[in-house]
Amino acid sequence: MMDMEPFILASSFIRALIEREFMQLALITGIFMGFLAPLIGAFVVIKRLSLIADTLSHFSLAGLAIGMYFINILSLPIGDPLYIGMIFGIIGALLIEVLRGYYRNYKEISMPIVISIGTALSALFISLSGGFNSSVYNYLFGSILTVGRNFVIIISAVTLLVLALVIIFYKKIVIVSFDEAYARLLGISVRKFQIVSTILLGIIVSLAIETVGVLLVGSLMIIPVATAMKVGRSFKSTLALAIAFSEAAVILGLWFSYIFSIPSGATIVLFNIAILVGVIILKKFIFSRSLKEKQS
Amino acid sequence: MRIDVDNLSFGYDYRTVLNNISFSIESGDFLVIVGQNGSGKSTLVKCLLGINRVPNGKIFLNGIEINNFNKWINIGYVPQKFDDFNYEFPITVNEILNVTKLTKADEDEKLQVMDELGILKLQNENINTLSGGQMQRVFIARALMNRPSLLILDEPTVGVDQDNTDRFYKVVNDLNNKGVTIMLISHDLDSSKANFSHAMWLKNGEASMKNISEVALRGNE
Repeated sequence: MMDMEPFILASSFIRALIEREFMQLALITGIFMGFLAPLIGAFVVIKRLSLIADTLSHFSLAGLAIGMYFINILSLPIGDPLYIGMIFGIIGALLIEVLRGYYRNYKEISMPIVISIGTALSALFISLSGGFNSSVYNYLFGSILTVGRNFVIIISAVTLLVLALVIIFYKKIVIVSFDEAYARLLGISVRKFQIVSTILLGIIVSLAIETVGVLLVGSLMIIPVATAMKVGRSFKSTLALAIAFSEAAVILGLWFSYIFSIPSGATIVLFNIAILVGVIILKKFIFSRSLKEKQS
Repeated sequence: MRIDVDNLSFGYDYRTVLNNISFSIESGDFLVIVGQNGSGKSTLVKCLLGINRVPNGKIFLNGIEINNFNKWINIGYVPQKFDDFNYEFPITVNEILNVTKLTKADEDEKLQVMDELGILKLQNENINTLSGGQMQRVFIARALMNRPSLLILDEPTVGVDQDNTDRFYKVVNDLNNKGVTIMLISHDLDSSKANFSHAMWLKNGEASMKNISEVALRGNE
């Protein structure tokens, strides 16, 4: 009987996916975000800017809080705080670029400055719009099961845009990411690339907040890449593995969160971490075995 | 490629790194720039590559003021190990050299250069599994994809064993014999097997330059 349980659980998950629209929207959102986050995350890791996603998510939260204030207190017809969150994601990203230019030898200083501004503004406007409520909880920890059709349209459009840009400019993006000096010699406008990629990063981070929340956005982008780096040999295979690990975590996370009624964002991230730990252990095991074989 | 540097000073914030440096080299020359860590060698390279922006009238490449210069493709650059290139992320040799169409060389020429440098067999290897010498040859191959008239090499043999260092200098000397202007940055002139024509010492941001007849450090060579 125990052996049957996973199948029953899987079948109820699949039934929910077929019958319930919110599950379909959540799955589509999850799959797109599971693709986008590690794709952009890989370039962030190469540039050694792993903390940028967390920084931008905190700044984007300020936009969401201001959006809530506009809607709840000022009754402005802005539709969804998400739009202001996205604008703040872009502003935060550009602010980091400006500060990085300002502190050339201490570029990482830009991150705590932008996080501080974002967190302070968030706290201020959350308080002004009536204090901590379920919307704020969802922004902090994600609410993939409550995304609407509008959100799915936006994330589909962003995914297509990013995919098209990566395919068209693949060679140039790889060169700029790995070696700016060489990119310059090839006549590639490094500055233009930085600005476009930073704006896209700001948009993706603000969208990722809906999926796993402000506090977990960074992990969605970085952990699958960190896992893939341990086993990938080429850049392309590492990118493909990162996306595969990320999609596996999204689907398993959604499934488990539905079955056990636990928070989806946290579950997705915990699966990402479980895959990372599994890969590290497996690699150590295989490595030490091949070392023993070589020695004997 | 002819290079003229005229009273160049450069600094970061309040720190002056290069102080009134002037020198000229002709097309086909081989200049070695020697200096200790922190003497301003890499800063000078960054100025020459247009990464550090300098005021007008300080650097001329082939007679063109550097801020108006746009033939960067004619310059090949081999970065200092672990400095400019973001290592550790998996990437294969082939992926690093996946620059044709952006450079002058086509696929056939790329394979020929790789063969000449002895890295053809390493095509599908992760760059992080290569030895220092192999890695250096990959970056020379990449620089040669530009068919450069100026090749800038920043501390190219740090961490490279003697055999590979000798092999490296043979490649560089051959290129110079074919007319490529070479600028080699090194912290130690004695260990360099370069057939240089000029040497410049950088100390505390100030330069003194001599041509080969004045260097007299080369013994029997």
